[in-house]
Amino acid sequence: MSDTGGLSLQGLTKVFFPRTVNEVIAVNHIDLRVEPGDFITVIGSNGSGKSTLLNSIAGNFPVTSGSIFLDGRDITTLPEHVRARSIGRVFQDPRAGTAPSMSIQENMAMAYMRGHRRGLRAGVPARLKREMAQQLAALGMGLETRLTAHVNKLSGGQRQAMSLFMATVSGPRLLLLDEHTAALDPKVAAIIMALTGKIVQERGLTTLMVTHNMELALQWGGRLIMMHSGKIILDVAGAQKESLTVADLIDKFHQCSGERLTSDKLLLE
Amino acid sequence: METVITSALGQGLLYCFMILGVFMTFRVLDFPDLTVDGSLPLGAAVTAVAITNGYSPWLATIAGVVAGILAGLITGSLHLLLKSGDTSSTNYGPKLLAGILVMTALYTLNLRIMGRSNIPLLGKTTVFDEMGHWFSVNVTGWWLVLTLAVLMVILKYALDWFLHTEIGLAMQATGDNEQMLRSLGVNTNIVRVMGLGIANGFVALSGSLVAQYQGFADVGMGIGTIVAGLAGVIIGEVLFGTRSISWVLFSVVGGSIVYRLLIAVSLRIGIAPTDLKLLTAALVVVALSIPTVRRKVIRI
Repeated sequence: MSDTGGLSLQGLTKVFFPRTVNEVIAVNHIDLRVEPGDFITVIGSNGSGKSTLLNSIAGNFPVTSGSIFLDGRDITTLPEHVRARSIGRVFQDPRAGTAPSMSIQENMAMAYMRGHRRGLRAGVPARLKREMAQQLAALGMGLETRLTAHVNKLSGGQRQAMSLFMATVSGPRLLLLDEHTAALDPKVAAIIMALTGKIVQERGLTTLMVTHNMELALQWGGRLIMMHSGKIILDVAGAQKESLTVADLIDKFHQCSGERLTSDKLLLE
Repeated sequence: METVITSALGQGLLYCFMILGVFMTFRVLDFPDLTVDGSLPLGAAVTAVAITNGYSPWLATIAGVVAGILAGLITGSLHLLLKSGDTSSTNYGPKLLAGILVMTALYTLNLRIMGRSNIPLLGKTTVFDEMGHWFSVNVTGWWLVLTLAVLMVILKYALDWFLHTEIGLAMQATGDNEQMLRSLGVNTNIVRVMGLGIANGFVALSGSLVAQYQGFADVGMGIGTIVAGLAGVIIGEVLFGTRSISWVLFSVVGGSIVYRLLIAVSLRIGIAPTDLKLLTAALVVVALSIPTVRRKVIRI
């Protein structure tokens, strides 16, 4: 499996607080094959393990067992910053993806440097300013005229648009979106989601998008994964996914979990 | 009065490199680094020992700075050991502890380097004597102020330039949003260790110059450096503003001078030198609360 591109998870398991009374098996022997260019949406209730799955792939913590391959390379034990050379991420909190007291152009310049060795050259070279002004204009957020403004002066939507841009500008091999529109108001969330779809498609990015929102999960991406109690309980793609409805998802969730739906309002959002 | 002003200016400029170092750790790296209480006398000790052993004062000063850099690198490495895998950047416990440990160890080390608690440099050639020799002047009073001001401007712009290089931006971002920088593929641990080295090099430079100016190195000269450093940084930021990194680097130098001026005035009006540490601590509290008070007053 390691001889092909894309992302492969083999028996991936993450146990928090092992051998204590608080032991939680957050991700439970997950096998997943993600083809290059796949756009996969991942849904599940709180505590289903979807965020832990993303964090395991990104390398926030060591996994308990199993392996992670990216582009055929075993990255299971690589530190987070080494994996980040080929993995872009956008977090739920719009403040997480940018440095607040630095300027837009400084933030952007750091993103262009992903995967490159940093030296004593100018942090924001003049040629880059022109390039980023053009590319920022394409976001339609009005950021291109405010290159020297501090990021903490921007709205949540503008910051998330920047985070998205910074996560994707260097052409990562994998893009991880962790409920990246959940903290935004609906109108801004729709803009950011449309922007996400555009960027992912234009660049053909291999993408995992975690979301609480079933509508989003159905509307975007070519494949849908539902998680429950650390396991994948549904994995549909193509025409099968196209014909899927929110009601189907609720049924499926019901079937697999055996829980009353009312106890899981968040899934209905 | 003129001697009070030149002396306060001179002191402010002698210690402004320490202030720049404290600014680097406290503000840029978000790392309240207590190493400075040890790295300032370390710079003084190494320089004094080198000078008394007949080395050129230039070489002695550089050796002092290098020793300070090493101290900072050790604090940074110790911090990595103490935080062991914890990736939260707001956990100040390991940061404070690393600084305290190195500061304490440096007390012994400084005594070992000097061989006693005080080394006089009277009659030895210092960098100030060397520079005075070039221009055939005595580097005291306004000449000292001018000399130090030139050095300050050079190092201020050097630091300013550095903080805007690729590595420098990474250093700023390490203190601003470490998780973001890691997810952009940067080893923030190495960046932080480097930054601590540079900062303590600046602090040791102040120690080295102070020893050469006052004519002795003393093992106790570092006590309260962190508080004096914070006082300078905060006074500078409150009085002169923080509109950009380039600007705030000058602000904190201004803060250093104002702080020494306040000390000089305090001594003039009869406050005992032994009471100065309490006064400095009180000053930091007052300066820290100014923005809060200002906000409250405006709201009323």
